[in-house]
Amino acid sequence: MRIIIVKKKISNFPSYFRDWISTFRAKVTIICLIGLCLVPLLTQNPYFLGIFTTFMIFTLFAASWDFLAGFVGQVSFGQAVFLGVSGYVTAYLIRYLSFPWWLSLVIGSIIAVLFGLIVGVPALRLKGPYLALGTLSMSMIMYQLFLMGSLATMWEDAFGTLLFGAEGVSQITPISPNIIIEYFITLLIMCVSLLILTHITKSNVGTIFKAIRDDETGTSASGINTTNYKILAFMISGLFAGVAGGLFAMRFRGVNPGVFQPLYSFYAIIIAAMGGLATISGSAIGAFIFVFAGELLRETQDLSLLIFSVILILFIRFAEHGLLKPTLERIQELWDIVLGR
Amino acid sequence: MGVILEVKNLTKKFSGLTAVNDFSFEVRRGEFTGLIGPNGAGKTTLFNLISGHEKPSSGTIRFDGRDITGMKPHQIVNLGIARTFQIVRSFRFMTLLDNIAVSCLSPRGKKVAKEYGIDEYASSILAAVGLVDKARIPPIILPHGDLRKLQIGKALGTNPQLLLLDEPFSGLSHEEQKGITDLIIRLHDDGVTVFMTGHVLRELMHLVPRVVAMHQGKYITEGPPQEVANNRIVLEAYLGKGSEQLA
Repeated sequence: MRIIIVKKKISNFPSYFRDWISTFRAKVTIICLIGLCLVPLLTQNPYFLGIFTTFMIFTLFAASWDFLAGFVGQVSFGQAVFLGVSGYVTAYLIRYLSFPWWLSLVIGSIIAVLFGLIVGVPALRLKGPYLALGTLSMSMIMYQLFLMGSLATMWEDAFGTLLFGAEGVSQITPISPNIIIEYFITLLIMCVSLLILTHITKSNVGTIFKAIRDDETGTSASGINTTNYKILAFMISGLFAGVAGGLFAMRFRGVNPGVFQPLYSFYAIIIAAMGGLATISGSAIGAFIFVFAGELLRETQDLSLLIFSVILILFIRFAEHGLLKPTLERIQELWDIVLGR
Repeated sequence: MGVILEVKNLTKKFSGLTAVNDFSFEVRRGEFTGLIGPNGAGKTTLFNLISGHEKPSSGTIRFDGRDITGMKPHQIVNLGIARTFQIVRSFRFMTLLDNIAVSCLSPRGKKVAKEYGIDEYASSILAAVGLVDKARIPPIILPHGDLRKLQIGKALGTNPQLLLLDEPFSGLSHEEQKGITDLIIRLHDDGVTVFMTGHVLRELMHLVPRVVAMHQGKYITEGPPQEVANNRIVLEAYLGKGSEQLA
């Protein structure tokens, strides 16, 4: 039975693809993808390609938050936990056990999924602002744990550095010494991840997730075990945040306790809010602005968070649905004018 | 006709207030029963206890011979009790089709829906409740009467044996009431056991052959609506003391 369905899907694929490609959204997506593939032809400057790679990692990280908040209604302020855990595991495996990068990334992401379970189970009893506070404190606990001020010195005297201390893990090898290969691998991972996330939101499970977001009591009255689905959502979100974390560690050649800071969770929220909540691909626009504006503001690093906070407030006030939808509408209008419709 | 729902000595205490007080009654399979009582009688609390949204302080609830006291709402739904809410609940940003599809994706609903395909089955339910032409719009822009229909549709998606309808007529115009009445009668004819509340006696009078009366959390009486309506305590509850002379 299942095989027949799969066969049917495969045989229907060309027509499905044709339907998809005929939509305006699909054309914009393809143009953006071609654009991203062409970037390394325009410049081989490692600095620029590095910025693009960072942009893709942040896209994935913000999309994982957007999935949890926008589609399941669980507003987490602890997304950095997944980023950090996976980053540490990936970095450790590459540096000290000399695992290949892809295996380290897979293991790091799986550990992040387990953390999704650990975060998800207590979070089930928390709703709304309490969930936000609970996840926030979880990321602060992780930060302190990996930083370990006074306790760490005692531990160090006896056993050596605990959890690598404030230095973190550094000097790990990147995916590839060739920045262009690193760029394309990151691009591929980002595209596949976003595709999977979007597909989940459109599947039957996605329907249940959206139902939980809109009305949890009503969902349980529809016979759905909301507990299991919420844990599942945390694990999926953890998986993709974990992938982003592993890539993050390899991109910056190391991790330190700073990745556990609530700051990184706020980055995800700022990016997702700029792109538009509950869009997944909106994170790409948000991350693009965020990373490039961040580079421009590099000189005024102390002020950058302030500036981004102001931008976030402006977005909440004037463009609460983010940039993706209005931008697509404007481009479509322009397109229609160009074609003379 | 066997007993499908058996409630025994059910009590629910909120700090200082006893909302349901030592309440016992039965519903037989295929029956069409009403629960009446003035506002604040504890009807909704009784429903919440049966559907698992609240846990009873004491007493037992048996469904189809099985003790369901203290089970979780989704477990109870998957045994075959579906309910609607007095204040309409819907998944606001999802299409009506998806609203119904959620119920069809529950383990119990899926067993039936799988044969036809989730979307096809959900749209057949939408057709049954008369909303099929609005399948692609979200409920936020629906009138109140359609939301009531949607509620019943959502309950039907789980393929229930027993349908608990909490005030299905509240806030509806006369015509809308008639649409819902026809729908409920049709469902009952299809073999679903229906148990519904209403605080206005007149609505239920013509519809159900048997009503259970409730006042201040206590069981008062049951029987054909005409008989119950002439019961002294029921009259007192609705109209106040000394009203039997008026009636």
